[in-house]
Amino acid sequence: MSRSSALFLGAAVLSAASLLTPLWGFRMSAPQYPGEALHLRVTSRAIRGDVHEVTTLQKYIGVQFPTKLPELRWLPAVILGIAAALALAAVAGRGPAGRVARWVAAGAMVVFLLAAAGLLQKRLYDVGHHRDPHAPIRAVHDFTPPAVGPVKVGNFTVWSYPHAGAGLLAAAALLAILGARPQHRLGATA
Amino acid sequence: MKRHYTILILVTVAATIALMRVVGCGTSRSARAVAAEKVYVAPGELDKYYAFLSGGQSGSVFVVGIPSCRLIREIPVFEPRAAYGYAVHEGDPRREELIATGGLWGDTHHPALSETHGVYDGRYLWINDLSNARLARVRLDTFEADKIVKIPNLQGAHGIAVVSPDTKYIVVNGEFEQPTDGMVTNPAPYTSVVAFVEPFTMEVKFEVRVPGNIDIADTSKDGRYSFSTVYNLEQGKDLASMIQFDRDAVAAIDIPAAEKAIAAGKGHVRNGVPILEGPENPGLLTMIAVPKNPHGVNVTPDGKYVIASGKLSPTVTIIDTKTLKIVAEPEVGLGPLHTTFDGRGNAYTSLFIDSQVVKWNIEKAIKGAPDYIVDRINVHYNIGHLQAVGGASMKPAGDYLLALNKLSKDQYLPVGPDMPEDQELIDISGEKMKMLASFPTPPEPHDAEFIAASVLSPKVKQVFEPAKDAIAAGSESVVRTGPHAVTVNMTMIRSAYTPDHFDVREGDQVTLRLTNVETVRDMIHGFALPDHDLNLALPPGATRTITVDAGKPGVYWYYCTNFCSALHLEMRGRMIVQPKDSTIAIPDWKAAQNVKGPVAGVPSTGAGQ
Repeated sequence: MSRSSALFLGAAVLSAASLLTPLWGFRMSAPQYPGEALHLRVTSRAIRGDVHEVTTLQKYIGVQFPTKLPELRWLPAVILGIAAALALAAVAGRGPAGRVARWVAAGAMVVFLLAAAGLLQKRLYDVGHHRDPHAPIRAVHDFTPPAVGPVKVGNFTVWSYPHAGAGLLAAAALLAILGARPQHRLGATA
Repeated sequence: MKRHYTILILVTVAATIALMRVVGCGTSRSARAVAAEKVYVAPGELDKYYAFLSGGQSGSVFVVGIPSCRLIREIPVFEPRAAYGYAVHEGDPRREELIATGGLWGDTHHPALSETHGVYDGRYLWINDLSNARLARVRLDTFEADKIVKIPNLQGAHGIAVVSPDTKYIVVNGEFEQPTDGMVTNPAPYTSVVAFVEPFTMEVKFEVRVPGNIDIADTSKDGRYSFSTVYNLEQGKDLASMIQFDRDAVAAIDIPAAEKAIAAGKGHVRNGVPILEGPENPGLLTMIAVPKNPHGVNVTPDGKYVIASGKLSPTVTIIDTKTLKIVAEPEVGLGPLHTTFDGRGNAYTSLFIDSQVVKWNIEKAIKGAPDYIVDRINVHYNIGHLQAVGGASMKPAGDYLLALNKLSKDQYLPVGPDMPEDQELIDISGEKMKMLASFPTPPEPHDAEFIAASVLSPKVKQVFEPAKDAIAAGSESVVRTGPHAVTVNMTMIRSAYTPDHFDVREGDQVTLRLTNVETVRDMIHGFALPDHDLNLALPPGATRTITVDAGKPGVYWYYCTNFCSALHLEMRGRMIVQPKDSTIAIPDWKAAQNVKGPVAGVPSTGAGQ
């Protein structure tokens, strides 16, 4: 097996594996939750964690953290599709067709990651801006949680951070990019 | 001249320092600081031990953190407590149990913790009700009384003890002797029984008849004997005739012999419990003569000796637990009541009349060494029980001792004629005892037991698993179950009840089944219904069912009594009681068909219209 095939195969496995782990995480801490910060985990299929408690709390400030994302309906299929494309690229051979397959697969992977990051940030913006105007507590102003990092919302500090699944996808993209590069140059640097 | 002034100043300073040393100003302040630091548990830090103190005539158990002496919880047991929604309402299972076994009041004396291999395992605590001959069990995962039973054939359930080392039985002593045949018409001698209760089913397995008044209990560490102090062998019925004999006894009951006799069918069954008679069963009951009217009885941690405290005699009687023979009877002071241990060979005996704790060395006392008394410390005042951490187990910690005093007199700000009880925490880690702190309680702790926080706190639940009959969010309903019966299946969560109103008719019996659907700790919701004598408290996950009469026509606001959230005051709803002759139709209502709330699982809906 060529080095490129191995890299693409690795990328395919890693991206498929990301289906099994959470993609993004949110950690919410507040003084009255000592040692028991609330966590939400976005997997490719659902949002899990302290959904019940977060749902109970957010109505006070009119925030509606989505407990069901429409994106999650097609996300597993897209990730599987990309994994399939990466696997195909791995077995596509050394010819020009193979080179095209590798570029397309790597490109799809990168485009998917960028689009997902953009979508995430848009969702986070909506959480902080599309709020119930009749919420009981008025002290909270519009806010935008960063995709990675903290934001203060009322008495809570909310940390957004990539979870294992996002790491696997990023690693898969890196492998795909390395695999798509011309063979001789790879050989030269190795 | 100038030189003279300098010398004068130096001499004055030196004299002042010397005077301060002599008076002890500096040293006494530092002793206070040392004691304060030993009991200071900073906000946010946790205590090392749970102390369980009987609540006496409060009918409860007080839970205190040691060494901080902070009251953490009161566990109501034999008396209803509205604040906890405990046994307050008709139909409440604990209330029914209390009424069936003797009433809504109790006199708790001796907490006993469950043991495995002779050390506390943090599963259960048992406590007696002296006044109504009852025994209750408290689950230590939820700190709730979960079973209360009446002990037949005895009155005045006083001393109780766990049969070591693995909690085979709970021993319950009957203090107030009764006519042996149970008849008041027949002048039979008065006697009493020691009951042996299965700890988990709480079934009274058998009883052993003992002459006289059976007082305090303990058991040998190998499970062979139960020991009870017995007074009034005279079988007198008035004070003067109870104290005539020179000696009363420690009654040692051979437990395996009793089990054998029961298996052989030798018990005389009365009120469903077989009673064994000593004379019919040789070897079952040994009466060990000790100075008259003894009180406490305590087995040493190594199981070698059982020590009976003299009360009216200034002595303690040390008895070998294998031979049941007295090995020594040393003098310790006036009014010895109870003894506890540090695991280093020392005993600590409370002296009621001297208002002291005396520390003495067991082996030295047995050998007759003149220096067996190690130390004495004054307590305030008239100490009853005392208990060292783990003192009644096989592994005492030897660090703290609690003195449970009967009178507080001048120890607290005066609060009218009824003064609080006074407990004092004493450091016993060194050769000399050191007074650390005191704390008051409502009436009236008698005895205490301690368990390490590291053992118990991992077992404690803070959120209930939903019960089988729990109402889930979204499945709330109001259902007419009969011509005059309505069932309301309600949930509560910050900051709403669902349904937030419902209609009933005058004359209806309203059954409320309530579930707190919170999942985070300490999010307790109350349910108070004005003019219906009703308050419940529901910890997270809890479900309670009660039935109330609808009462007079009107609007009744049910509201949350346990402050919960920013909208706590708004957390309320209406029970609308329509007049009997009202023609308004009141259909059934189901939340699942009527969810209007903006948040899933938290429907903000009404009912009844």
